[in-house]
Amino acid sequence: MKHFRKSYIITAVLLVLALVLGACTKPAPTKPVEPLATEEPKVQEPVKEDPVVGDIDCTGVKEGDAVSMLYQWSGEEEAKLTAILTPWMEACKTTVNPESSRDQALLDTRVQAGTPPDIAFWNVPQLTQYKDKLVPMDTLGANKANYAGYWGDIGTIDGKWLGLPVKADPKTLVWYSPAAFTAAGYTVPTTWAELDALVEKMAADGNVAWSLGMESGDATGWTGTDFIQDILLVTKGPDFVSSIIAGDIPYNDPAVKEAYEIYGKWAMDAKYTVAGAEGTLSTGFNDAILKVFSDTPEAFMVKQSGFASGTLLGTYPDKVYGKDYDFFGVPGAQGLQGGSDWLMVFNDTPAVRSLVKYLSSNKGGETWATIGFDLTPNAAGNAFYATEEMMKKAELLSSATGFTPDIGDSIPGGFGSAEFKGITDYVNGGDLDAILDSIAAAQADAMNQ
Amino acid sequence: MAKPTVAPVMRQGKFVPWLYLLPAIIVMSIFILYPMINTVNLSFQNASGTASAETTCREGQACWGAFENYRYALTNELNTSSAKAFWNSFWVSSYGNMVKWLVGMVSGTVIIGLLFAVWVDGIKSEALAKSIIFMPMAISFVGAGVIWKFVYNYGTSQVQTGILNAIISAFGGDPVAFLSKVPLNTFMLIIVGTWMWTGFCMTLLSAAIKSIPEEIIEASRIDGATDYKIFTKIQVPIIMPTIIVVITTMVINVLKLFDIVYVMTGGNYGTNVLATRMYTEMYANSQYGRGTAIAVILILFIVPFIIMNIRRFIKEEAMR
Repeated sequence: MKHFRKSYIITAVLLVLALVLGACTKPAPTKPVEPLATEEPKVQEPVKEDPVVGDIDCTGVKEGDAVSMLYQWSGEEEAKLTAILTPWMEACKTTVNPESSRDQALLDTRVQAGTPPDIAFWNVPQLTQYKDKLVPMDTLGANKANYAGYWGDIGTIDGKWLGLPVKADPKTLVWYSPAAFTAAGYTVPTTWAELDALVEKMAADGNVAWSLGMESGDATGWTGTDFIQDILLVTKGPDFVSSIIAGDIPYNDPAVKEAYEIYGKWAMDAKYTVAGAEGTLSTGFNDAILKVFSDTPEAFMVKQSGFASGTLLGTYPDKVYGKDYDFFGVPGAQGLQGGSDWLMVFNDTPAVRSLVKYLSSNKGGETWATIGFDLTPNAAGNAFYATEEMMKKAELLSSATGFTPDIGDSIPGGFGSAEFKGITDYVNGGDLDAILDSIAAAQADAMNQ
Repeated sequence: MAKPTVAPVMRQGKFVPWLYLLPAIIVMSIFILYPMINTVNLSFQNASGTASAETTCREGQACWGAFENYRYALTNELNTSSAKAFWNSFWVSSYGNMVKWLVGMVSGTVIIGLLFAVWVDGIKSEALAKSIIFMPMAISFVGAGVIWKFVYNYGTSQVQTGILNAIISAFGGDPVAFLSKVPLNTFMLIIVGTWMWTGFCMTLLSAAIKSIPEEIIEASRIDGATDYKIFTKIQVPIIMPTIIVVITTMVINVLKLFDIVYVMTGGNYGTNVLATRMYTEMYANSQYGRGTAIAVILILFIVPFIIMNIRRFIKEEAMR
C-alpha cells in the first residue's frame, strides 16, 4: 500500500510538471520584441528642404515621430512587416511602437477605452465594427489608383473609404501536375464549362479527376466549404457571397443547394474523386494534396489554398514549379476568396498620413512584393514578386473582379462548425435540405446576436 | 446505534467540528462549489454571459424563455419533421450515441472483465495474462485514440496502412472506412473504450472472486456443481455488490467520455457525445451559454449514479 501511495504521488508530481511545462510553451507573448522602436535617437540632422525623400512622402513628419500599431502577425510574418516598413522609417526618421496579438478583445478594449493604437492591421469585419472611430483614407491621402475597384468597395462603409487592404492570400486555386496533364493530353480549363467537360473526360478515360479529402480533426469539412464558396463565386459571384455573410441571403437559398449538389456529384463518387464519399471523408487534407503529386498519382487535381505548394515540397522536395506542379484559378470564378488584412487608422497624425501614403504608393507596393509577405493588393507590386509562383498568384489577384473572406470565418457563433458538420453529413449521405436548414438556423442565430 | 457516552471535557460544541472542516470547505467552495454555481448561472445566459438566454430567441422559432440554451442543447440535433426523421436523427445525436456507448461499453467491459477474471483465476500464468489485459489502462486516452486511428486507417491507394483494412484486403475484401461509416463508426469507437477499460473491471472483479472463501466453492463441488453452476449460482451472487460498483463506475466513466471521440473523429460523422458537443460549443463556437447548458445536463445524468455509488460505499463502511 505504501508503495502504491508513493507511485500516486510521483504520478501527481509528474502531471503537475507536465501542466507547468505545457503552460510554458504557450504561443508567443503578446508583447514582442520591438526591434526598431528602442533605437537610440539619431544625431540631429539638418532640416530637409524637400519633404519627399526618394519616393517616400514625409510631409509634416518630425524626426522621431512614432506610430503605434496593433496587428496579429508574429515571428517570421512580423519580421516581414518590419522589413516592409523599414524604408519608410529610414526615409522619414520615424519609429513604430508595434504590438502583436491575435486577441481581438485587446483591440476592442482599447477602442472602447478611447486609447486605440494609431493604426491597426485587422480584418474586414472590423471596418464596420469601428466605422465611427476610423479616419477615412481619402483624408489621409491614400492613393486609390493603385487598387482594383472591388478593394475600394469592400473597404467603403456607409460611403466612406475606411480601410486600406495591405495583404491578401487567395484560396480559389486548383493545383495540378503539368507533366501529368501533358502526358494524358489534358489542357488547363479556362471556363467552368471546360472544367466540367475536363472532369467528365477524365472520368470517361478511367482517370480520377479530384482529390477532395477533407479530414481535419474537429475542423473536418473546411476544404469542402471552401469549394462550395468557390462554386458560388462561379455561379453567383462575390456580391452573393457577401450577402450570405451579411445575413441578407439565407444559407438554404436554392443557389447554395445547387452548389452543394455540384460539389456532391464529384465528392461522393469514386468515378470523380479518390475513393468516393469514403475517401473524401477519411482522407486528411494534406494527404489529399500529396495524392496528386505522388509517384503513382491517384488524381489529377486538388483544390486548395496557396499552402499546397509548401505541403507537397515538404514531402517531395525535388518537385519543380511549372513542371511537376502548378495551379490555375478556379475557372469561371467571378472574384476570389481568401484572407485579407486591412490597415485602419484611429488617429490622424502626419506620421500616420505619411505611412498610409507610403503603403499605397508605387514604392510601397514594390517593397511589399519584393519582401513577399503573401500578396499585396497594391497593383504597383505586381511586377516585383520573387518567384514565378507568386507572380502568377498576383496576376490572378489583379485580374480578379472581387474578393470575399471565408463565409465560415466571417459569421460568428456556431456557424462555422455548423457549416463543417453540414458538409460532412451531406457527403456521408445526409438529407441536403435538412442540413442546409440547420446551417441557415446557425446563420440566423448569429445575425440575432 | 446507541449514542456513545463521552466525558464532558471531551464534548465538542456545535462550532468546533466546523473548524475542523473549514480547510476542506474552503477548498471545495473555490474549486467545486463556485464553478458549479457559475456554470448553472451561465447556462441561463447568452453566448457571452451578458444577457438572459431569452434574448437569443428568434421570432417565429420555438423558445423556452430563460431555458433557451436547454432547448438548444436538448432538441437542436433532432429532426422533428416526422417520426422516422426523429428516430434517425436521434441515433446519430449525442444522446443516441450516449445510449450506444452506455450499452456497448459498460456491458462489454463488465462482461469481458468478469469472464476473464473467472477464466484466469488460479491458472499458472495468471499474473501475466492479467497484466496484458490491464496494460491498455497505462496508455493515455489520446495515445490510445491515435493508435486505434492507425488500426482503423482507411487508405485510398492499393496499399492499406491500417492493419484492419490490410487484413481485409489481403483476404480480397474491400477496405472499409471504419471511422466515417454510420452507424459502424460509433461501435468501432466503443471497441477502443472497451479495450482500455476491461482491465480495470477485471482487476476489481478478480479481487472480489479471490475473496470468496474456498470452502464454499469446495462444498458446492462436493455437492456436484459444474463450473458453470458455480459461476452463475455461487460466484456471481456473492460478488454482486462489487459488480454493481463496477457498473456504476463505468457508467460515470462513459458519460464523461470525451478523449476517444475527440481524437478519432472529432465528433464528426454522427459520433458526437455530450462531452465533445460541450467542448465544441464552448471553445469552437464561443457559445458559453449553450456549452454550460450541456454541461449541466451532463451533470444531471451523472448525479444519480454518483449517489448510488456513495450509498453503497457508506453501506459497506457500516458493515466493517
